Amino acid sequence: MSLSNALHDALILLLSGDAALWHIIWVSLKTTGIALLLATPPAVVLGYGLARGEFRGRRVLIWLAQATLAVPTVLIGLLLYLMLSRQGPLGGLHWLFAQPGIIAGQVLIAVPVLLAFTLAAVQAIDVRLAETALSLGAGRWRVMLTVLREARFGVMAAVITGFGRVISEVGCAMMVGGNIEGATRTMTTAIALETSKGQFAQGIALGIVLIVLALLINAGLMLAQGDDRLRGRV
Amino acid sequence: MTALLSIARLRKRHGEHTLLDLADFAIEAGSATVLTGVNGAGKSTLLRILCGLESAEIEEVRFFGQVQRMAPFPVTMRRAIGYVHQHPMMFATSVAENIAYGLRASGAPRAEIDARVDEAVAWAGVAHLRERHAPLLSGGEKQRVALARARVLQPQLLLLDEPTANLDGAAREAVIALIPTLIAAGSSVVMACHDRDLIGLPGVQRWKLRDGRIEYR
Repeated sequence: MSLSNALHDALILLLSGDAALWHIIWVSLKTTGIALLLATPPAVVLGYGLARGEFRGRRVLIWLAQATLAVPTVLIGLLLYLMLSRQGPLGGLHWLFAQPGIIAGQVLIAVPVLLAFTLAAVQAIDVRLAETALSLGAGRWRVMLTVLREARFGVMAAVITGFGRVISEVGCAMMVGGNIEGATRTMTTAIALETSKGQFAQGIALGIVLIVLALLINAGLMLAQGDDRLRGRV
Repeated sequence: MTALLSIARLRKRHGEHTLLDLADFAIEAGSATVLTGVNGAGKSTLLRILCGLESAEIEEVRFFGQVQRMAPFPVTMRRAIGYVHQHPMMFATSVAENIAYGLRASGAPRAEIDARVDEAVAWAGVAHLRERHAPLLSGGEKQRVALARARVLQPQLLLLDEPTANLDGAAREAVIALIPTLIAAGSSVVMACHDRDLIGLPGVQRWKLRDGRIEYR
């Protein structure tokens, strides 16, 4: 099949509302969305705590957090597979080859990204800001929210990067989800499967969706930043 | 007369170097004090210790006669002591929201916040800047907003770190004009500064920090 034919078939698939294709897109968006909702609050709080906390072992924790960025997702998938398999310590949850298993893997993949980016964003904020909030009577949580508000574009970039890493990930989703049609097949596992079968149309269609998603989300961030810049708020 | 804040033996070290080694000292209610000394004498550090932003070895702290533990910094002292930084930081929001920040943190009702912010912007002469984005203000405007932001909380002790530093002309004069009204309103004020016009304000006592100690003038 030529590239132009494959592209044509991909567009037909997308525009015809192919149920199987759109279900795969729905599974990807659903698992990624839930994973980010679960991962973002603790990762952002941890990132803030590591950036601003003063405690023994802080530098070691920062080193570990940043090092986990480089861990291959397939290794996370392997470890999670062993944990969730019938003989594993979490086997009783029956999450293997089910969407909760994929979500668990995505949370483990997203947390280091969110944490590291939040850490960098908070470290870039002048410490006098937190001191000002503190001297005006703010408690710890209000100080944290004030600093995170100032670092909001960095935190938004963290969430977008986390989204990108999670939705484009294939190794963990394949191992833990099992790529079961109608249940745990995600955009990336579907692309891998269809390509291995020599059927490129669905893979290209899903690739188009991934690219459009990336463009839309980054455009949203740029608009938000641009809007604030126009008002002189950056 | 009970002192607002009395401290027995305060010592601050940076490694082997002792920056401050102060014997007993007290800040009386309603008093105004100027803290002078060469750069690096520890003026800013002392102010930051007094408002809980830095730690130090302190034998005993009494606030209105009550002994206080300094770690963690007591909430009663946090609410009663205001601090204005030499280069005030503005939150990325309007002038009015900046001034309202501490009131919101204290849980004040909305109507009270609005009324007190109105009064504060009028006092500081920044009513016309009320809805402006605070980080975009000039240095002098920021200093006046920072003073209003601290004053609106009605602190019993206000610590001002070089309130006129880096300001010149009308901006400096506008800030200097606000200081006597702070003192007249009954807050104790301690200012770290080099500004002769502030040092020469009537009724202001002068402490000079030298070699880590206070010399009373």
